[in-house]
This record gives sequence, C-alpha cells and structure tokens, in this order.
Amino acid sequence: MNVDVGSKIPPFNIASVDTEKMKTMAALLRDPYPIHWDAEGNEKMGIKGKVVNQGPLNLSYIVNMLMNWQGQDCIRRLQVRFTGWVLGGDVLSAHGKVVSLDTTTDELLATCEIWLERDGERLLEGVAIVALTNS
Amino acid sequence: MIPSEEYMLGLVGHKFPGGNRTIDRWENYLLTDCTTSPQLEDGLAHPIALFHIPIQGVQTSIAELFDLGRVKETGSVGLDGYDWEFFKPLREEIEYRCEGEIVEVERRFTDAGKIYDRFVFSIELFDEDGEPVAKATSYWRLRRGKVER
Repeated sequence: MNVDVGSKIPPFNIASVDTEKMKTMAALLRDPYPIHWDAEGNEKMGIKGKVVNQGPLNLSYIVNMLMNWQGQDCIRRLQVRFTGWVLGGDVLSAHGKVVSLDTTTDELLATCEIWLERDGERLLEGVAIVALTNS
Repeated sequence: MIPSEEYMLGLVGHKFPGGNRTIDRWENYLLTDCTTSPQLEDGLAHPIALFHIPIQGVQTSIAELFDLGRVKETGSVGLDGYDWEFFKPLREEIEYRCEGEIVEVERRFTDAGKIYDRFVFSIELFDEDGEPVAKATSYWRLRRGKVER
C-alpha cells in the first residue's frame, strides 16, 4: 500500500449509534453520568428522548478506521478535541488524511488529520500519529 | 454553589493513590464489541481502553473525579479532548502499574459570561518491567453556570 502526503484513509462508517452499547460502556467505565442512559432525564439539556454517546466510543470509530488501514498496533498518538455530541441513532463516518511523513525514526510514521462527522458536521477532530506497518 | 477558585487551583498536583490494573479478556471483549470492531488478535486490547484503565488503575473513578471537581448537575461536565500516547500496544492480562495526578486547573469565562473550570489530569502506565507503555491526558470542562463579574 503506497502512502503519500495527501493520501486519504478509507473511512469507517457507523450506520446507527447503538444505545445498548452505551449502557455496556457505562458499566465498563463505571461511569455514573446519566446522560449516557437516562433519555428522559436529558430533557433539561434539550435532547429529551435521546442519550449521548461516550467520548471514548466516539474516538473508537476513528481508532477502528486507523486499525483497518495500518494494522491493530499502528497507533502511536492521538490528540483530539470533542466539538459536538454524538446521540443514539446518529449516522456517522470517520475520516482521515495524511498530512506529513516522518522517516527519521526506526519506523515510518504518518501524521494524519482525523475527524468524525455527521451530515458533514465535525463532532471530533484532531491528529493521529500512525506507524505505517502495512506500507 | 460554585466552588472557590482557590479550592479548584489547589487541586493541581493532587496525586492519585496509584496502583495496578490488568485488562481482563472478558472486559476487552465487551469493550471492543461496543466499538463495533471485530475482536483484536494476539491479545491486543482495544486502544480506547486507555480511557478507563488508567482512571481505575490509579484507584480513582469518574465519580470520584466529579466529586473532586465539585460537579453537581447533569450536563455540567464537558469533554474537551484527549492526548493519548502509546509507547507499546495495550494487551490483555498484563498487570500495568498506573501513576498520575491532576496537572492543570484554570478558571475561565465564556463570552456569554458563564464560568467553567478547565480540569486536566494525566496518568502513565508502566509494564511489569517498569517500561512506559502509555500516557493518557484528559481535558474536561466543568461548567459552573452564569455569574456576576
């Protein structure tokens, strides 16, 4: 697989964010924050009937995209900021593109712009450093 | 009631107790399933374990972090971002030593006159040989509502 500056990473798509997985995630994280499972309680935040996906799960879709691209142990660094909520039922896609290559270390590293979007709106964005293990 | 700025700034340097944490097979299976990914190979743990493993490994919890930050209401915590560094892949069934602290707190005001505290904590993981494996820094926003200035 040839990777150059400007190369696009194959996207990772989520057809519908699953609220049941949020409940499992809340238990694994021991996260008592009810916005992830109490849809009726979210009325005062203006999203009655909806629950908010956990930040780590939002990031996981980008992680899955990177692992599909360069292997399951390819990630060296993730620097991200969250810019919007992901809600149950959302249709999402994770994207990325290579912005620079570093050949000065023992392994070939790609710095990539990464983002998660819903209908063109970015809900998470940042930078990933990825070892090009498949290249 | 909004916690005093003095209290909040005094949290900087607060060290968590520290301790050891192993990523169990069952836990990684469920975690990976939540991400919609197929299960990983060769005992690799899904990288997003770097959110909760460090927190639980230093013997704290999300609830305790909320208590430290004097968080009271639903919707008052925002997740600003992460900086995660992986020096080695995370793996199942390895006992990681976890150490960390609150590294930054800053009281800020939005343009709308609302107050919030930027709350940053950082935790490092070491393997059984004492080699660094990963470092997770989390940036939270603790919203305090509108105040007179």
